[in-house]
Amino acid sequence: MSAKISDLGRRREFDDLVRELRPDLYRYAFWLSRSSQVADDVVQEALLRAWKAYGGLREASAAKQWLVSIVRREHARLYERKRLETVDLAAFEEELPAPGTDPDLEKLRRAIFELEDSYREPLALQVLMGHTTREIAELMDIKEGAVLTRLHRARNRLKADLGRDKDEIRDDES
Amino acid sequence: MSDNSIETREAAGDAADPEFEALLERALRVPLPEEGRRRRQPEGGGLRWRWPAVAAVALLAIGVIFGTLKNSAFIPGGSLAGDVVAHINHEPRAISPRPASDVRPVSNHEVTQVLQAAGADMSDIGPIVRYAKLCPFRGTMVAHFVVQGEAGPVTVMLLPEEQVTGPVAVDEDGFVGTIVPLDIGGSIAVVGAPGESLEQIQREVAAALRWRL
Repeated sequence: MSAKISDLGRRREFDDLVRELRPDLYRYAFWLSRSSQVADDVVQEALLRAWKAYGGLREASAAKQWLVSIVRREHARLYERKRLETVDLAAFEEELPAPGTDPDLEKLRRAIFELEDSYREPLALQVLMGHTTREIAELMDIKEGAVLTRLHRARNRLKADLGRDKDEIRDDES
Repeated sequence: MSDNSIETREAAGDAADPEFEALLERALRVPLPEEGRRRRQPEGGGLRWRWPAVAAVALLAIGVIFGTLKNSAFIPGGSLAGDVVAHINHEPRAISPRPASDVRPVSNHEVTQVLQAAGADMSDIGPIVRYAKLCPFRGTMVAHFVVQGEAGPVTVMLLPEEQVTGPVAVDEDGFVGTIVPLDIGGSIAVVGAPGESLEQIQREVAAALRWRL
């Protein structure tokens, strides 16, 4: 990269923005890919692209959603068509070592790991990234109703795996 | 953008169980990776203790400027050789030193998968492949291997999109090696620690590699 002194101010501004959001962008990418290495790569590439396009970002308030969309696109571009068949439950132990003192936490992480992509992603977007139902719908190009259904089913699935609220969980998958 | 508080999620009808929601949030907040981009320090740095203080200050200032301009944690960049080394530093687990007895070969199936995904074919080579991964590099997906050299890990990157007109020396951050052009187009980078015997590996890989259409 041929950085110029005049870029320095914008670069610092960008780095400040990214420094705050990077941990959750990584976590979002992790739950997209279920691989720490892939997540790291995707975020790195996404931030490189984001920096190149940074001049086009007009509203700072939109930065988070903008970066999330770039991470999502990069994941799709780099991995969906060339995805290696390496993600399985055996990978779980390596990717997420047991947190130690909290068996529920490990159990829940394993359950999230096993969720279908279409359930796992909206959950991560809502809980991690703070996206609204509408924002998730726009990003995933599905209807808001579908987002709500997926979120509801994802939670039910996870609660069932945790053995919680058994009486309340209805079989609404049909 | 809304916040992601449990109250907000409750309002959307998704969080009737605050205890579960708190656990869910903790579960999704997976630990961050270790400082993967920590630069490997070149060996033989003992001289720095004998430098005059003024030199240290000057170096620090240069380091700050360079660090800001080039070496940011967020933006890779620079020459091809520099980007290769940055990529190697980006995946430090791949080159972690291990006794030869602890080196486990990657399965042929996994190597083939990586090669296929990277648009390449390669007949068998002598050294043990201890790491194989498809990686983004300068906007394309490339095969990144680490093979066991005589003294330690040797990184081999297959670079179909990177054309070099002649051998390009790599000598950065305690890594040495060469990026060589291939007759079939593209290039390969073979990089290891100083003193490692790289030429044989380079010749073997160059002879064994074919790009797939």
